[in-house]
Amino acid sequence: MSADVELSDVSVTFGSFYAAKNVNVKVNGGEFFSFLGPSGCGKTTLLRAISGFQEPSEGKVLIDNKDMSGIGPNKRPTALIFQNLALFPLMSVSENIAFSLEVRGVSKEERKKRADELLELIALEGQGDKKVHQLSGGQKQRVAIARALAVEPKVLLLDEPLSALDLKLRQRMRTELREIQKRVNITFIYITHDQGEALTMSDRIAVMNEGELEQIGKCDEVYNNPLTPFVATFVGENNPLYGKVTGIDGDKAQIETADGQYLAMMNESKKLNIGDESIAFVRPESLFIPRDGDNFDNKINVNIESFEFEGNLKNFYARLQSGAKIKFSVPNAIDTSTISSGSSIALGFDSSKSVILPKASLAID
Amino acid sequence: MRPSYFINFMMGIYIFIFFAYLFGPLIIMSITAFNSAEFPSITPWECFSFRWFNEGKIAYDGQHLAGLLTDWRLHDGIISSLIIGAGVVTLSVPIGMAAAIVLTQVRSQLRDIFYSISIMPVLFPGVIIGISTVVLWDRLAGLGGEGFISDIGRNGIFLTILAQTCFISTYCFLIFVARLQRFDQTQEEAALDLGASQTQVFFKILVPYLSPAIASAAVIAFLFSFENYNTTVFSILSDQTLTTVIASKVRLGISPALSALALTIIALTIIAAATYEVLRRRAEKRYKDTQEKFVKEKAADNRINKNYKIGFKVPRGIVTILILVVFTIYGATQILKNDLYGQSCIDAADTEKKSKFYDQLNALDAIELSEEELSGGELGGNQDYGDIFGDPSLFQDFGGFD
Ligand SMILES: Nc1ncnc2c1ncn2[C@@H]1O[C@H](COP(=O)(O)OP(=O)(O)OP(=O)(O)O)[C@@H](O)[C@H]1O
Ligand SMILES: [Mg+2]
Repeated sequence: MSADVELSDVSVTFGSFYAAKNVNVKVNGGEFFSFLGPSGCGKTTLLRAISGFQEPSEGKVLIDNKDMSGIGPNKRPTALIFQNLALFPLMSVSENIAFSLEVRGVSKEERKKRADELLELIALEGQGDKKVHQLSGGQKQRVAIARALAVEPKVLLLDEPLSALDLKLRQRMRTELREIQKRVNITFIYITHDQGEALTMSDRIAVMNEGELEQIGKCDEVYNNPLTPFVATFVGENNPLYGKVTGIDGDKAQIETADGQYLAMMNESKKLNIGDESIAFVRPESLFIPRDGDNFDNKINVNIESFEFEGNLKNFYARLQSGAKIKFSVPNAIDTSTISSGSSIALGFDSSKSVILPKASLAID
Repeated sequence: MRPSYFINFMMGIYIFIFFAYLFGPLIIMSITAFNSAEFPSITPWECFSFRWFNEGKIAYDGQHLAGLLTDWRLHDGIISSLIIGAGVVTLSVPIGMAAAIVLTQVRSQLRDIFYSISIMPVLFPGVIIGISTVVLWDRLAGLGGEGFISDIGRNGIFLTILAQTCFISTYCFLIFVARLQRFDQTQEEAALDLGASQTQVFFKILVPYLSPAIASAAVIAFLFSFENYNTTVFSILSDQTLTTVIASKVRLGISPALSALALTIIALTIIAAATYEVLRRRAEKRYKDTQEKFVKEKAADNRINKNYKIGFKVPRGIVTILILVVFTIYGATQILKNDLYGQSCIDAADTEKKSKFYDQLNALDAIELSEEELSGGELGGNQDYGDIFGDPSLFQDFGGFD
């Protein structure tokens, strides 16, 4: 059983400070939905508003179209997995998992049965008698999930549960989480500042900045059609090209920069006029070293400065004539022996792979 | 010689001096408990005897010097002290715990004020707490006429429990504050989120977490109560606790029965501490064993160290224990060799003392006393003391020490 979660004009203030401001979002039942944003942008605050630990100062939280104001966390059909997991260290794994049943007065045999079921779900059969600190990081993680699932919540809220794990484990847990979600088929609201995590797991994501929602959409939509310069640079990497709009042709706009003119896609909801200050964005993987027969509608001359080997990719750091920095990536399979530091080359990119947005601040890495 | 040896050597000397300073008086006192002499002393050593743990002694001059077993005032005092200790524990542990929990809930400047007020009772002189409790309850008892209030308001044990709780709950408070500072509050939130009520959170999450602090607060509260004198001496009114009994005895002259009591208390403390340590180690070992079992069951075969064995280790305190054993054996042989143990020795000592005593009395009797001398005239050597020591009936009239 899953439930819709709707935040309607939710604001949370601490004194005069808006930790979250006018947040409007509707999460569908059974969806894996992520809130993505940099540290301190108000993600945890929103989650606490949904779970009932924090009453919104304005607006409403609706779960299954029911207004949740005044309903405490122990009465809501949500379960929260804390940023630090908050397992009970004095209890065994089984006791942790069955805690929610214990406080509801479920009999001992019933609790044991349910705990064993959940242990099987998280692939920790027979380890119920261990103490929490005898588990590895990933196992603790799964126990926290099982403990939350034992309540049979309609909505599972996860607050950066993977942030403490190392890369490999994190990757494995992503898939596991996704599988568990499919199996139990309830709404997952997931919080992370890791865009890779959000993109790989979610059905839809909401990008947050400074307490406000910048964009809500499917992963590829957000990646390919960012609505703001913040989203463009926070989700994945992007090279900004600053300039003024000099011409408009259908859904494309021409931008004049210090280094030349480029053509880029306009966003439907962010129409530009001639003369507007704007930024064109092109991703490192959309910049190509032209080969015979290639025909790019944008050309850009760069001076190679340095090179970095990432494994599957080779990253080149270069500068334009104006001094602006630019990064481009080439798959490892492509031979780049002719490109050396200090050399000057021409790159090409397609206008359909570039977006142009009204000027605003970027995500600072 | 490497400098570290030198440093270790100096450290050893320092530790020895430190412990000698700490425990020297206690050790001396403990030894005096076994000397049959009427005053706690090591030299001259009369006889080795357990009499001060038992019935005490009827002195050569007819006094009864009570031993630990026969001193009913001491017994009454111990019973009152135990009752008061239990009362103080049951009051101050919950009070301290509640105050500490409140402190975690209060943020802002109020927190500092609350903290300062809470620890204030330990800064007051205990005497003042004792007197003020008595004064307050005396008034309250006066108001109510005859009845319950007036009864408890003049009950020393009740007042002492209240007065001691005043400041002992503050120590409990500090213990709980220290433990709560390390409490992860998200655990409470997690429990709430899982559907627990506030009461369930308290009993299932907070109390188990605080249980070590509850235990140590209870022990400390009891010990503080048991050994308290300066508050108790006022609030106890006409009753007696162990400390007030001891104090009143000291005023009249101490007896080795007190040494015996001290040794008993020390022994009980050591036994309790040792038992606790043994139990703790057992639990630890059991825990390690289960962990080892888990590892063996679950780990891949190649991750188990087959050569892993727990070797025999020499216990660390072995040197101290050996030294103690050697000293004990030496002491025992000396005592047996010199015939310093048993009834015969005691009888001999008594006879000797008695004869000395009568010699002295006879000597006193032999001196003819004139009116002139008693009024402190120019004659006589005892005038400085008004000649009270010249009165032969002095020792006979004196009722003895109890
Ligand atoms: N109880 C509080 N009182 C005052 N300010 C708070 C409180 N809780 C959070 N804030 C502030 O609100 C902002 C958002 O906090 P929040 O915990 O939601 O961030 P977050 O997005 O979860 O960050 P992170 O990724 O680091 O966990 C922060 O600037 C934080 O300082
Ligand atoms: Mg957070």
